[in-house]
Amino acid sequence: MNEVCFKNLDKENPASIATYEANGGYKVWRKILNGGFTPDEIIQELKTSGLRGRGGAGFPTGLKWSFMPRNQEGQKYVVCNSDEGEPGTCHDRDILRYNPHSVIEGMAIAGFVMNATVGYNYIRGEFMEPYYRFEEALKDAYEAGLLGKNLLGSDVSFDLYTHLGAGAYICGEETALLESLEGKKGQPRFKPPFPANVGLFGKPTTINNTETFASVPEILSRGGQWFADLGVENSGGTKCFSVTGSVKNPANFEVPMGTPFSKLLELAGGLKEGRKLKAVIPGGSSTPVLPAETAMNMTMDYDSIANAGSMLGAGSVIVMDDTTCMVKTLTRLAHFYYDESCGQCTPCREGTGWLYRMLQRILDGNGKEEDLDLLLSVGEKIMGNTICALGDAAATPVESFIKHFRDEFEYYIQNGRSMVEEEHNLVEEEASV
Amino acid sequence: MISNEAKKEIDFWVSKYPEGRESSAVMQALTIVQKENGGSLNSELINDVAEYLEMPAISVQEVATFYENYNHKPVGKHVLRFCHNISCMLNGSDELISYLEDKLGVKTGEVSKDGLVSVKKVECLGACVGGPMCQIGDQYHEHLTKDKLDNILENLT
Amino acid sequence: MSDIEIEIDGQLVRANQGDSIINIADREGIEVPRFCYHKKLSVAANCRMCLVDVEGVPKAQPACSTPAANGMKIHTKNDKAKFAQKAVMEFLLINHPLDCPICDQGGECELQDVAMEYGSDVSKFNEGKRIVPDKGIGALIQTDMTRCIHCTRCVRFGAEVAGIVEMGGTGRGEGVKIEPFLTEGIQSELSGNMIDVCPVGALTSKPFRYEARTWQMNAVQSVARHDLVGSNIYTQSYRGKVKRVVARDNDSINETWISDRDRFSYEGLNHESRALKPKVKIDGLWQETDWQEALKFAIDGIKNNANSSEQFGVLSSKYASLEEFYLLQKLARNFGTENIDFRLDQAQLSNASSLESTITLSEIESIDHALIVGSYTRLEQPMINHRIRKATLNGASVNTINSKKFDFNYKTGLDVLTSPQKLRATLQSVLKAIHNKTNKDAPSFLSQVSPEDIHNKIADDLIESKNGVIVLGEHLNSNLDSIAITSLIEQIASAADLKIANITLSGNSLSAEKVGFMPDEKGMSAASMFNESTKAFLLMDVDLEYDFFDSKSAQDCFNQEDVFVVALSSFENQSLLNGADVILPMASYYETSGTHINFDGQAQSFSASVKSPGDSKPGWKIIKVMADLFELEGFDYIDSTQVKEQALQLSRNKSSFKDVDFENFDDSQITTHWQYTPYVTDSVTRRASALQKTNIGMIDSAFVSEATAKKLGIGNDDLYLGVPVSIVDSVAEDYVFVHTNQARKA
Repeated sequence: MNEVCFKNLDKENPASIATYEANGGYKVWRKILNGGFTPDEIIQELKTSGLRGRGGAGFPTGLKWSFMPRNQEGQKYVVCNSDEGEPGTCHDRDILRYNPHSVIEGMAIAGFVMNATVGYNYIRGEFMEPYYRFEEALKDAYEAGLLGKNLLGSDVSFDLYTHLGAGAYICGEETALLESLEGKKGQPRFKPPFPANVGLFGKPTTINNTETFASVPEILSRGGQWFADLGVENSGGTKCFSVTGSVKNPANFEVPMGTPFSKLLELAGGLKEGRKLKAVIPGGSSTPVLPAETAMNMTMDYDSIANAGSMLGAGSVIVMDDTTCMVKTLTRLAHFYYDESCGQCTPCREGTGWLYRMLQRILDGNGKEEDLDLLLSVGEKIMGNTICALGDAAATPVESFIKHFRDEFEYYIQNGRSMVEEEHNLVEEEASV
Repeated sequence: MISNEAKKEIDFWVSKYPEGRESSAVMQALTIVQKENGGSLNSELINDVAEYLEMPAISVQEVATFYENYNHKPVGKHVLRFCHNISCMLNGSDELISYLEDKLGVKTGEVSKDGLVSVKKVECLGACVGGPMCQIGDQYHEHLTKDKLDNILENLT
Repeated sequence: MSDIEIEIDGQLVRANQGDSIINIADREGIEVPRFCYHKKLSVAANCRMCLVDVEGVPKAQPACSTPAANGMKIHTKNDKAKFAQKAVMEFLLINHPLDCPICDQGGECELQDVAMEYGSDVSKFNEGKRIVPDKGIGALIQTDMTRCIHCTRCVRFGAEVAGIVEMGGTGRGEGVKIEPFLTEGIQSELSGNMIDVCPVGALTSKPFRYEARTWQMNAVQSVARHDLVGSNIYTQSYRGKVKRVVARDNDSINETWISDRDRFSYEGLNHESRALKPKVKIDGLWQETDWQEALKFAIDGIKNNANSSEQFGVLSSKYASLEEFYLLQKLARNFGTENIDFRLDQAQLSNASSLESTITLSEIESIDHALIVGSYTRLEQPMINHRIRKATLNGASVNTINSKKFDFNYKTGLDVLTSPQKLRATLQSVLKAIHNKTNKDAPSFLSQVSPEDIHNKIADDLIESKNGVIVLGEHLNSNLDSIAITSLIEQIASAADLKIANITLSGNSLSAEKVGFMPDEKGMSAASMFNESTKAFLLMDVDLEYDFFDSKSAQDCFNQEDVFVVALSSFENQSLLNGADVILPMASYYETSGTHINFDGQAQSFSASVKSPGDSKPGWKIIKVMADLFELEGFDYIDSTQVKEQALQLSRNKSSFKDVDFENFDDSQITTHWQYTPYVTDSVTRRASALQKTNIGMIDSAFVSEATAKKLGIGNDDLYLGVPVSIVDSVAEDYVFVHTNQARKA
């Protein structure tokens, strides 16, 4: 456990440059600056490693980097997406807090590969502690001569800056993030063109998530094959998971891909006292919810979770127990997407509000029999028709919650109250008698 | 009016971006002037930022109204930004928010009578393993309980 | 050309790699519904209405932002495409109000049209509809933002075309509001186009509000006459009155845009001061009469007062039609006088015709550099300025030599501040610099000139440009040194191989020039007629307060007992009643057929859109009858087409400005330049009430530097010639720039 991004977690002053370097940090970067690595070799190692974008989409990183027109004249950029905001996800925050230099080194390596001399780390505006830690790390890296111009006498230059967000979930979407970095509303761009061709300030840009960048130095240090072997087929390496919800010890864990969900649950101390597992959202609020039995049979990797009917997403495991009211939970999620829709394209702007309002009406006891089908139909009409993935993300929970827990919704509509809470209260009442 | 200190801070952010891309600093500029103004923005400040960064005022207004962290009405000296999203909710954030409202005698979105505190319900703050949690200033407060909240409130001056 | 082949709805189509699907479909006449897409604006892909099925792609793709690739198979109407389109339509309608019966967009609403095909009869939406409070954005545009579908066409129009970012989308999600930052009103001179681009009834014409239903109106193709462009328009009338003017596409002229002046000036047609009946003044008292009496009175008066034909003068505004200019000069010349002029507001008149433009409207778009001299182009010639702006978007640079720094809607590089009296010196310096740099011998009058640094830089930019233009603007008119300046411009253009855009004279001036509506050597120009020698005048569409460079001398002359004045006019005001002896009510814009010659030399004819009110008659008919009554030969025209054909056969004299005297010129005096806001330029626009309430319409300031203010003994908010003083540092020294809607007093 905790072999890559979290490898210094148990050391003293894990975020310091001294700790980082003492444990092999900046070894790869120094090797590059001494001419010991070519961009092609790096891309090849990444391809071998099976590293996939950790932000949620899971796109192979080596392939992504190979798309950049690195021989094109003019400025190019490397951007790190530290706008962590998917409900249930908070491991990037810990990488920034406890291993900031791995992100710096990963971005610098990307800059070298892509022939980009400037990078930005977009950190969400609320992450002030991580921001200060990261700034501190930047300062140290500059002082050590590892960032800046003509590094260690080479012709390689890399300047890295932080940019702070100001509160918008949508900026986690890479093109919205670029818009935001340009000082605009975070509204996703339509694609094509892709950022690799027209990115930040109109220039070719590679954008990856914090965990992805943080994984790169260790992969190059120990070899792509080593990393690939940690995981399973199609899901190389380790992955950070945030385990939250109805567990005893919610926490972040970096475990090999393919670790059984049951094992992860155990790591988090299992369910809270006296509770039974009811459902799991395995990859963050945008991924479909799975009922207990299905979840208990899956392993934590791309294919297994997909086979179970959901997605690995950002590795955000939300655990729900037998006292969780699914109507209330879904309404809360629907409110989230309604609140965070950027408002740019029609289906999402209008559809997320429609979904939320219907659910809230049900929760208020004013549901109608036809509402469930209408919810599904509205979701279906949003799905696939929007500029970015937020539309799908809003529709997905609706579809999966109703699919697996339809009886709870029907009960709520017929009775104007929660089936679960009622049962739960009854049990508590009996117990108190 | 943007103070000289604030301008210096804004210039620090401006220096991070290429020439002609000064507007990239608008989000931080707004954050800085909002802080200086006691936690909220107004049209005058938005206009000042627009002039300082040579942007159309409406473009600054767009940014100022798009992002959650800007306030357009006066707020308390301390703003308790309480997460009510799924992981926190599963750990009792709703009860704590009600507790807070009762204790302070305000609803979310309102400022306490002494002007010291306002409470805002916000979406996921990215500290889900520490839920229920809230943000006050730069600080995250995690694994909250009623007792912890009492303690936090006592220490706000 | 076409390098790929794609299939749309089973039809094989050749196309260019990368061209958008919607473009190709439009070209092939395959209908794809859309709201946010607009051919002249950037692609937003936000409405999602144009989603189509591209084979092999799991999700439906927006036709507007999806580039075509070879072999692509596209279905615009299969189940998948229809499902997506209907879904979007449903979403658009859930929060759209059902107030179509009282919506001014009704009948021409894109949402209504598309809903007919893609909408559902029954709404499944049971939640409360969104209501957006209106803030108001000025006198021209009515907002009903609850109807807004957030297509952002108006936002993109501002940023991309108007060049002033005024509208934006504030907030986010369902709460996004399209609005400006300021509620005091929109600043752009092209703002009305936002009404045209708005697909729904969110932005409609404020003066048109509740005036008529769109389908009740009679639309006639016409041409706007306020500037040199001759923008193509439709007039829309109801019960004989023009109720609205909208743009008509013509890519080489106005593309798809028109200026606010072209759009909203029609309001002036219905002004209470319309001249409706012929009137004669007997013993100082006005009497209404019939046409016969009035014409007899007019003819007799001219004959009796002008002892010889040279004592007769003929004057017109710049806004008459080609036919009117032609017939009136013909009347004058057959009558035996050369006292003919339309250049009423020019300070210095010679008998030479003005400098010829050597570039076309669409060519302006591809210039790489412009030097603007004496012009607030944005307000003088909005559509020409728009072309310059387009060139700047493609990388062209613009320098200016102006008496004040103006608010252009593009970035200018070098701005040289020069008072009118120093303009000659500045241009000489630039010309000398060009000669120095190109190693050519400078003419002798430049021997004493030594260019300053900034003049050298201006010269550098001119020489380096491969496709540059020098733009000479309206300010030249009131410059007492205009002949020398014009000559210098011509020499600079020749020395640096530049095109010329002469936009000094607006309206239909090019028609007046075409037919020689100016005196020859024997005749008198407008300014010189107001001496004792002219005893009878025939005025066409002339405003005695606004139109003359020296309106006091003009009015003093007309007011004399022994001067007889016949006015063909669409309007009456006190100065006209004082100065004239006969008023013959004339049809105004859109009430008569005619021809406008534009910047490109294109003669665009238009027919009458409505009948003129009261007893007023088309100007060309009045002139023809007068000629008959004078018993002049050659006026037996059957219709105005014959007049036009004759007029177009004339060709104006091309003159040179090379033999100009560059000797001493007194540049030591403080000068005043009086520039009208664009909404008082002509008799109709001046009476259009909504335009007057706009920010541009209300401009009224005398700009002066601090030093000059001291010399003049004036301070901020004092009145200078009746105009409030504004002390600024962006204005030339020894100079007052009066920008106002008030009649000229200097």
